[in-house]
Amino acid sequence: MPGIEFLSVGKRFDNGTEALADVSVSIAEGSMVFLTGHSGAGKSTFLRLLLRLETTTHGRILVNDVDIGRLAPRRLPCYRRHLGVVFQDHQLLGERTVFDNVALPLRVAGTRERETARRVRGALSSVGLLEKERMLPRTLSAGERQRVGIARAVVNRPKILLADEPTGNLDPGLSKTVMGLFRVFKGTGSTVIIASHDIALIQDMGERIVDLAAGRIAGDTGTNS
Amino acid sequence: MSKSPQTAEPHAKRPAQVWPAEPRPWRAAWRDRVRTLRESYAFIARNWLSTLLVWLLIGIALALPAALYVIDANLARAARDWRGSVGFSAYFEPGIDSTVPAEFAEALAQEPGVVHVELVTPDEALAEFQGRAGIGEAVAALGRNPLPATIRATVSPGIGPERLRALAQGAAASQGVDEAVVETTWLERLAAIREVAARVVGIVAALLGLGAILICSASVRLAIESRLAEVTLLALVGADKRFIRRPFFYLGVIYGSGGALVAAMLLSGSLMWLEEPLARLFASYGEGLHLAGFDPTFLLALLLCGGVLGAIGAATASHQRLKSVAYA
Repeated sequence: MPGIEFLSVGKRFDNGTEALADVSVSIAEGSMVFLTGHSGAGKSTFLRLLLRLETTTHGRILVNDVDIGRLAPRRLPCYRRHLGVVFQDHQLLGERTVFDNVALPLRVAGTRERETARRVRGALSSVGLLEKERMLPRTLSAGERQRVGIARAVVNRPKILLADEPTGNLDPGLSKTVMGLFRVFKGTGSTVIIASHDIALIQDMGERIVDLAAGRIAGDTGTNS
Repeated sequence: MSKSPQTAEPHAKRPAQVWPAEPRPWRAAWRDRVRTLRESYAFIARNWLSTLLVWLLIGIALALPAALYVIDANLARAARDWRGSVGFSAYFEPGIDSTVPAEFAEALAQEPGVVHVELVTPDEALAEFQGRAGIGEAVAALGRNPLPATIRATVSPGIGPERLRALAQGAAASQGVDEAVVETTWLERLAAIREVAARVVGIVAALLGLGAILICSASVRLAIESRLAEVTLLALVGADKRFIRRPFFYLGVIYGSGGALVAAMLLSGSLMWLEEPLARLFASYGEGLHLAGFDPTFLLALLLCGGVLGAIGAATASHQRLKSVAYA
């Protein structure tokens, strides 16, 4: 089954902190999974390992049957072009317009300008911000900035979408809107993994929930697809 | 749900099969470069004051070796011009038969390296002496011509001092020749000065070139620090190292070539300031001022040199600072 597999994964940092310990979990392609747990439970480390911002101390992570821990540095860009990432703090470039921020993954991939414009406008339209494409991020509200971040994450149609506390700075109403966008994206066949500690919100979504505690899996509502 | 590590072994795939490197159309590559260049200029426009300071620092660092090079080029030109009239003089014994110097002059003109032989008879020498020294009456009081016949030989600029000395020694040993005097002193001094100047230019250029690299490197490093969030983001969305480093590489080249332009302006200003006194000095020797070395080729080489130094500085800074960014 292609997808994501964590096989007895452990991560210990240089300062001795054990962020993940013997985590084994399988995530089917096209599914939506919420990672939850308290601060320091290992949610962000889980996502950073998938992004290959960190490497495992032991165990392996397979993505589409490829051990990403063994990826050569020169292969990392190709791998990351198949991922989309949404951050809690948006990480938008303040000196570039909304359009240019969303276009970034496509320009990195060398997509033609006409196709870039078409896809950027499509992504902005899907998050309801098409009319703000020429604005700078600082002129937008927190919710709008987060939606720009989502548009940037999905604009290159990634196979896997990772989101780290995407609703952390949003009010409940906006949080639901943002989660709705993720669900729409899941409908396109991509795998969506969201780290969040907003239990009430994610329970409402009715998707699979993996609960992390002290770097271990404390609960899993089960496989879905 | 959980699997043991062994279960995944049979279906392991190669990354290149799953995430192949897509070929990048040349138009996209060209567009990337143009966009990066535009963004680099925008960065410079935003940080114009610090950029001006960097250009000035690099300009001063490059101006000194450039000035030394121009001085060396002019010394070389002076040496070339002066060597064109180098040679030796052979003085014959007084009262010798006039056919001996004439035959000797004819034979000397056939020697390799000798470009011109001028025979000055005692009468011609006397007339020249009287005309130049203005002491004709004193010479006339002697009642006889005391001056010997003289041969002035001019040699080719290509021959070395050894060959010149050998020719003079051969002349001195010839029948009827009293003395042969070689005119190499200034040639040798000038050659020695040029050698010292060339080495000083080399040392100064190496030290100040290193300084220019360090200035570029530090400036590019500051630029990287100010754009670290962007760099990390680019790495996360799949930019390769070349894509990430390109703006900083361009910035280094702009810093370096801008510094070289400032160096050329400083040098040009200095030469304009020195032009009048130099012209007066040359005029006192009956020469016009023709400065060598400061020409379009030199300016192009200076710009290229600045650009290369900037590129080296940028490559060093980006290699050091970016090697660990988002590439675990």
